[in-house]
Amino acid sequence: MSRIEQFQYDNKIVRAFGMASFIWSLVGMLVGLILAFDLIFPQLNLSESGIPYFTFGRLRPLHTNAVIFAFVGNGIFMGIYYSLQRLLKTRMFSDKLSWIHFWSWQVVILLAAYTLPMGFTTSSEYAELPWPVDLLITLVWVVFGINMFGTIIKRRESHIYVAIWFYIATWVTVAVLHIVRSFELPYSLFGSYTLFSGVQDALVQWWYGHNAVAFFLTTPYLGIMYYFMPKAANRPVYSYKLSIIHFWALIFIYIWAGPHHLLYSSLPDWVQSLGTVFSIMLIAPSWGGMLNGLLTLRGAWDRVRQDPVLKFMVVAVSAYGMATFEGPMLSVKSINAISHFTDWTIAHVHVGALGWNGFLTFGVLYWLWPRMYRTTLYSVKMANIHFWLGSLGIAFYAIPMYWAGWTQAMMWKEFTPEGTLVWGNFLDTVTQLIPLYAIRALGGTLFFVGTVVGVYNLFKTAAQGNFLANEAAEAPAREIGPATFTKGEYWHRWIEGRPMQMLLWSTLLISVGGIVQIIPMAFMESQVPKIASVKPYTPLELTGRDLYIREGCVGCHSQQVRPFRSETERYGEYSKSGEYIYDRPFLWGSKRTGPDLWREGGNKRTDSWHYNHMLDPTSTSPGSIMPSYAALLETDLDLSELPAKIGALRTLGTPYPEGFENEAIANAQAQAREVAKRLAEQDIKDQGIENKEIVALIAYLQRLGTDIKVEAAAKK
Amino acid sequence: MKSLKYLLTLVVMLSVAGSAWSQVADAAAAPAADPTGEFARIMTWVLGAIGALLFIVAMAYVVRVNQFLYKRVLTLEAQRNGVNLPDDVASLQPKEDDFWTKMRKKYWENPVPIEREADIDLHHDYDGIRELDNSLPPWWVNLFIVTIIWSAIYMFYYHFGGSGPSSSEEYKMDMEKAKKEIAIASAGSANMVDENSVTLLTDAAVVAQGETIYTSNCAACHGQALEGGIGPNLTDQNWIHGGGIKNVFKTIKVGVPDKGMVAWEKTLRASDIQKVASFILSKQGTNPPNAKAPQGDIWKDEAAAPAADTTATKPAATGAESK
Repeated sequence: MSRIEQFQYDNKIVRAFGMASFIWSLVGMLVGLILAFDLIFPQLNLSESGIPYFTFGRLRPLHTNAVIFAFVGNGIFMGIYYSLQRLLKTRMFSDKLSWIHFWSWQVVILLAAYTLPMGFTTSSEYAELPWPVDLLITLVWVVFGINMFGTIIKRRESHIYVAIWFYIATWVTVAVLHIVRSFELPYSLFGSYTLFSGVQDALVQWWYGHNAVAFFLTTPYLGIMYYFMPKAANRPVYSYKLSIIHFWALIFIYIWAGPHHLLYSSLPDWVQSLGTVFSIMLIAPSWGGMLNGLLTLRGAWDRVRQDPVLKFMVVAVSAYGMATFEGPMLSVKSINAISHFTDWTIAHVHVGALGWNGFLTFGVLYWLWPRMYRTTLYSVKMANIHFWLGSLGIAFYAIPMYWAGWTQAMMWKEFTPEGTLVWGNFLDTVTQLIPLYAIRALGGTLFFVGTVVGVYNLFKTAAQGNFLANEAAEAPAREIGPATFTKGEYWHRWIEGRPMQMLLWSTLLISVGGIVQIIPMAFMESQVPKIASVKPYTPLELTGRDLYIREGCVGCHSQQVRPFRSETERYGEYSKSGEYIYDRPFLWGSKRTGPDLWREGGNKRTDSWHYNHMLDPTSTSPGSIMPSYAALLETDLDLSELPAKIGALRTLGTPYPEGFENEAIANAQAQAREVAKRLAEQDIKDQGIENKEIVALIAYLQRLGTDIKVEAAAKK
Repeated sequence: MKSLKYLLTLVVMLSVAGSAWSQVADAAAAPAADPTGEFARIMTWVLGAIGALLFIVAMAYVVRVNQFLYKRVLTLEAQRNGVNLPDDVASLQPKEDDFWTKMRKKYWENPVPIEREADIDLHHDYDGIRELDNSLPPWWVNLFIVTIIWSAIYMFYYHFGGSGPSSSEEYKMDMEKAKKEIAIASAGSANMVDENSVTLLTDAAVVAQGETIYTSNCAACHGQALEGGIGPNLTDQNWIHGGGIKNVFKTIKVGVPDKGMVAWEKTLRASDIQKVASFILSKQGTNPPNAKAPQGDIWKDEAAAPAADTTATKPAATGAESK
């Protein structure tokens, strides 16, 4: 027998991540609440007075990043750092790396909190952070990886438990996703253009975006569930076989499902269909986790009534089950045609985020805090209040959003018998939803108040307790080398004794889907039929496009007309993939709080209309909830980065002629004067308007989706 | 004997359930002659079938629970009175794995009871966490298999030889269908007024409807009192693109894209455009406060016919010339 070794678990790092998680949860949810109220009271955007930093467009990515990467991210690390040490019977590989990991992750979050309101964004959802931050994230991930695999290598357990399988898959997949999504060419300190353009960029984006949900919000939390739920319930895991099958099936299938975010878009049909079928096949593997969690509670259900920890966990796992059934349903084309671009999606993601991630995090925190502080929970009653506020909050959030999504989709699609749109004025479909937005804001407030109660409870628990920074433990030493495998053991035990093989196989499995979908799209020209009349943006339009990105217009306006009668009647010809080949990044969007803008160009509305609309949206569209963009009329147009931008784009493949960067500024100024002249003809006679940002934005909007109209005109 | 009775009950319930659900499905499908009718009808049938099935399963379950409770009561009473069970009741005692249990274990769920948990403990110990060797829930495995088969059929139908339409084919079919429906709906309808046939409406109720349309669509640019704003004043005698009901109707309908006037024909029905044009003309000469300076030429409302003819033959040019 090997000798017994003494060692200590590091609780301090767990506490640090835990505190970061619940503190950031308050910030992330507060920003979410502000956004919810923005939609009811547009004045709250504060932009009428010329402050550009707090508009819906700029704060929306801050909300999503804060919730995903700050709240859930720190929650993941809390769960992993606690469970990994105990499951492997060792302290973390290196305390120093643990703390580098902790602080650099908080720096990433602070940088996000600075860059996003400042308007530095790549506009790729959940990957909005500018390239230097991307580099820092890569560094953090490497540090985390070394620390985790170092710990695995020096483990005292011969086999690794299912939770750790999920941690390994999480680590490698997030690494792959982050690196590929960050293929971009910088042109300034915070500015860059994506390697892929148009439809390819869209595919890469939703391969990334969908799997950020899969491998940042789901797999690590399944791992956490597999540790904390049996612990809290003191019951054995229901089925080891189920763990095995659903783990491998989940990580293999999940990665294929990204294109379901692009149904009925310009993405080729075959990729869309793959997205649909793999989403449907995902139901069972996803539910495997829910089943194994809920069935583990067999024999402990009586305790679920009393123990707030289990209560939170049960609702979390149920919410997971609901969201992972709804997701595949939303991936069916006929349902997606209704749900997509509406608030239905918003409801769906919040069932996941508030229910699954939110409740599981607090379940774990309520279990962890008393243990690390060697005391009992300060107030069970308070935890119950938190539970009910949270549950009601989810209901009051999700139900009006489902209602809103359905309502809006039906209004978009309704025709009179004579063939005109009943709600031809898009605005009518927005103002209709405002009461529902108000109920949603109430739901958000309930959830937020619940969280405040929860955080207070945790602080009081800490105050009455006595923190155990280093927890003594002992375990027999492990012989170096892979675990022995005897015949007759279940086959999967073999790989459980070989974590590096597990890493290797996971990497292979999660690569397949991405390779099959992305490689043909990126390298086969036939996948994106060229359209001769589609030309690169002029320097001024390009500048306007970057302003559009800076302001986060994509948060509310799509640029993708789907092949539906209701959309071509409303907006114009449906989008073709060849139209987007110079779009770096693509700006198709995922939500239409406002109308689609892809066919906005070509003087559908006059320049003066856009001018007035940016100054005060309600002047041209009464009842509009769009924020004012008054600052665009005042801020000087900065063209200094244009040569670098043109150079970067040419490197990536946009056919600007050699030496065009030297003419770019003059070219932009000339076009700006033309816009100013047109504005003057339409009674907008501001002095020096040709030097303001508004002209660039107008030039871009008037260009949108017009290139194929040119072709149509030429044919005549 | 007993089983025959249960079978009979089940058959009756089946027919009741079936007929009830098919009626519901019929009722739901009947008015579905709208554009999405085909799909809605299929979906309604599918839902109806699922509903009927669920109902039958639920009923079967109720019957079984009833049967079980009946046995329990008889058994307990027999025990209390110290009487032997009648033979036919005793024979109803659940045997180890009757047909239903076997089916359930094979296709639905098959957990080892908690009391016998120790038999399937794998003796894994991860920080105190144990793992059981329960088999995969059969319904879960079946669900997985069904989704995989569904996916294969889906891919075949849409991509490898099946006749599934592509997104753009779907669009084309939808547009053709809409065209036919519009033709039917518009035949002889009052909504078919155009710039040649349009007449000024003076009925107060209709003009009031026009005002509502004006307020929600036009007031933003032309002012609440038609005094003008981003767009021109509509109360004076000057018209850039011609006055009179026919010209105003046409300007609203096709718009003046170069100057920011939206073409409303896709948003408003023809009859609505007629109403709002009539409302606008009812406000001639009202002289609202803050009126915008006159633009365009003074329009003399002569006999409407000749003016209409010019607009009809030279649509775009009229506006430009009058400017």
